[in-house]
Amino acid sequence: MTGEIVIALLAATVQSGTPILFATLGEIFTEKSGVLNLGVEGVMILGALAGFVVARQTGNPTLGFFAAGLVGSLATAIHGMVCLWFCGNQVVSGLALTILGTGLANYLGTTFIGTAAPGFTPFAVPLLSAIPVIGQIFFQHDPLVYVSYLIPPVMWLFFARTRFGLGLRAAGEYPAAATAAGLNVRAYRWLGIVGGGFFMGLGGAYLSLAYTHLWTSSLTAGRGWIAVALVIFAFWRPGRAVFGAYLFGGIMALQLRLQASGTQLPSSILLMLPYVLTVIVLVLSSWRKRTSDEPASLGVNIAPAD
Amino acid sequence: MAGPPLIRLAGICKSFGKVHANRDVSLTVAEGKILALLGENGAGKSTLMAILAGQIQPDSGDIFLREKKVQFTSTEKAIKAGIGMVYQHFKLVEAMTVAENVFLGQSGGWWLNWAKMHRQVVDLAEQYGMKINPAARIRDLSMGEKQQVEILKLLHRKSTVLIFDEPTAVLTPAEAENLFATMKLMVGKGKGIVFISHKLEEVMAIADTIAILRRGEVVAGMAAAEVTSTAELAECMVGREVLLQVDRLPLEPRQMVLKVTDLGDYGLRGVNLELRQGEIVGLVGVAGNGQKQLVEMVCGLRRPTGNSLRILGLEWARFFRSAGWDKALAYIPEDRQGLATCPGLSLIDNFLLTTRGGFVRGPWLLRQQAGIKALRLMQEFDIRPPDLGAFAWQLSGGNLQKMVLAREFYRKPRLIVAEQPTQGLDIAATEDVWKLLLEAREAAGILLVTGDLAEAIALADRIGVMYNGEMVDLFAVDDAEKVALIPQMMAGLASGEPSAV
Repeated sequence: MTGEIVIALLAATVQSGTPILFATLGEIFTEKSGVLNLGVEGVMILGALAGFVVARQTGNPTLGFFAAGLVGSLATAIHGMVCLWFCGNQVVSGLALTILGTGLANYLGTTFIGTAAPGFTPFAVPLLSAIPVIGQIFFQHDPLVYVSYLIPPVMWLFFARTRFGLGLRAAGEYPAAATAAGLNVRAYRWLGIVGGGFFMGLGGAYLSLAYTHLWTSSLTAGRGWIAVALVIFAFWRPGRAVFGAYLFGGIMALQLRLQASGTQLPSSILLMLPYVLTVIVLVLSSWRKRTSDEPASLGVNIAPAD
Repeated sequence: MAGPPLIRLAGICKSFGKVHANRDVSLTVAEGKILALLGENGAGKSTLMAILAGQIQPDSGDIFLREKKVQFTSTEKAIKAGIGMVYQHFKLVEAMTVAENVFLGQSGGWWLNWAKMHRQVVDLAEQYGMKINPAARIRDLSMGEKQQVEILKLLHRKSTVLIFDEPTAVLTPAEAENLFATMKLMVGKGKGIVFISHKLEEVMAIADTIAILRRGEVVAGMAAAEVTSTAELAECMVGREVLLQVDRLPLEPRQMVLKVTDLGDYGLRGVNLELRQGEIVGLVGVAGNGQKQLVEMVCGLRRPTGNSLRILGLEWARFFRSAGWDKALAYIPEDRQGLATCPGLSLIDNFLLTTRGGFVRGPWLLRQQAGIKALRLMQEFDIRPPDLGAFAWQLSGGNLQKMVLAREFYRKPRLIVAEQPTQGLDIAATEDVWKLLLEAREAAGILLVTGDLAEAIALADRIGVMYNGEMVDLFAVDDAEKVALIPQMMAGLASGEPSAV
């Protein structure tokens, strides 16, 4: 009996960790190019709304999913213009993007509150889902979860083994060196911003198209901020982001279950748990700063003349 | 070398506002030759090389690549044409490996094959007499090794013209020898080299032809073989006889300002030193033989154990606890832009960084009064531009150094520690700094740490040689016999009598 509960909890962990994983990977991609984007929360919720609306109008959730990525890219392009054209402050621009995104999505989504859209439904992977325990935890989800499994290794390959990944990392580490090597740093940073925005949008769409199939206001509920913190926990490595995302997914799934089980603990305390964990995780990871792959020029704009 | 010159510059002109950075400059870089470019700071070397590297465009004039006219409208174009630049400040990504840096920005397919790339780097390095681990991270390398990576980057791109911007400034003598050997191998393989340097001896030793820039113009061009002495080059550079000999009248040494007895912390071994007001003690030696540790302890940046360091008659700890110690001690660090000043602050703020005496009332800074005083000092020390609002980063090295000296000397310190005070300065600025140091010794004892033996001999009353944490010898500068032995002492080959003069 308890075994089944644990398996169900772990499966729920994967599911609630997936949107955070998408967003964290997006932020890693952006930050690796040297741009800090604190607008994750706003980009996610815009993606969630875009995915929901497109799926609802067309009846095709896959179309909605990609539309969410596209809207994510478009939203972060605002950040790109501020940081790369006007050399604006990256922190301020990112915060503005969060405020803009949440406000806009909640406003535009008012008429959709409480309505449903066709979303993704679980699909057991043949053979793999038959593996005891592992199969139940990892391979009985909606297709978007399987997509999320593929991104970390692909992103790692991109960073470590491709010419463009090397260029992107150089743009984030030492733009002057990249320029001297004949690379277009601004173009790489655009790639980082817009590409990262795509994944953030996907993370939002996961919430509206797979996690709930519903639209409610403030759907993202701070998951974008958790993603920003997780980038630090992950030491800017896509592989470690998986552990971080599932850790948070786990605590979110757990607190839901605890609330449902009618525990004595006040629900506000339980709701607080993920954010308490964020603080703890940040403190712990700052202790091991030296092993981190933090880009040396993170948050530093490139001069207009470069 | 019958072929056309690799690069020919013809009548290059470039102005920034009213300043002519380059005026009608014509130069030729030939295959298999080293062209040395000499000139004081601000003579236009950097502008010229930036034009050649495609960073800026000339106002007029042409560049010919093997006698074919070309225009370098971007750095990429210059790189493609085979122009490679080894910058003074390395353009390397510290967190990446040697191979990653070498292959950064290289064209090719999507995928990178690291095993193959590591092999390529090693092969290339061996061809040019270098040894390097391709998997090492840049941040773990020495300055000399980092420079090798810069060179490898260019060689891998098959650059045919390599520009070295003061490459030996950051190297130890042994590393510089290696660099010269590599350069010889490169010209042996038909590459052309432009070598920018202040160091006349190096230029004489390695260059085939020498071009001297002054105020943006080429004032002299000659084959290195025709040059008989470095003095000849120096004269061309400044356009007047250089008096690198300053008049030094010995003063009567007075009160003891620094006394070091048997100091053995942080890798030092039994160092003894006495410094009195009115004298300069020059500390020479290859960098990394304990000079830094000694300076940092004297300046209060490191705590010596025991009671072996006394400043103005007080024990180290008591001195730094005493009120007004900061008025008595002046530190002129090697790192002008980092330790001595804040590049992003105006000159007046930089002035107030260490000198607040008389310019504070309660918690308030009297900026106006400080400004008046600072402006007077700037005129007195001939700091240009004489603009208090200018930021420290806008000043040239020489002017910034004079500003630091002006600030420190204003407080009338009793003990001055000057570390490489003229490194990277042109001859005129060096002379100014030397004169200022000699004047300052009226009221202070000066510990001069320098890598330039000529500087120590010109300024110091006594010279101490450090090797491996030990003070090999400390002797009066008139002791010609000992002075002649300094190079051997620096190399740890000769040990003078360990004496406390």
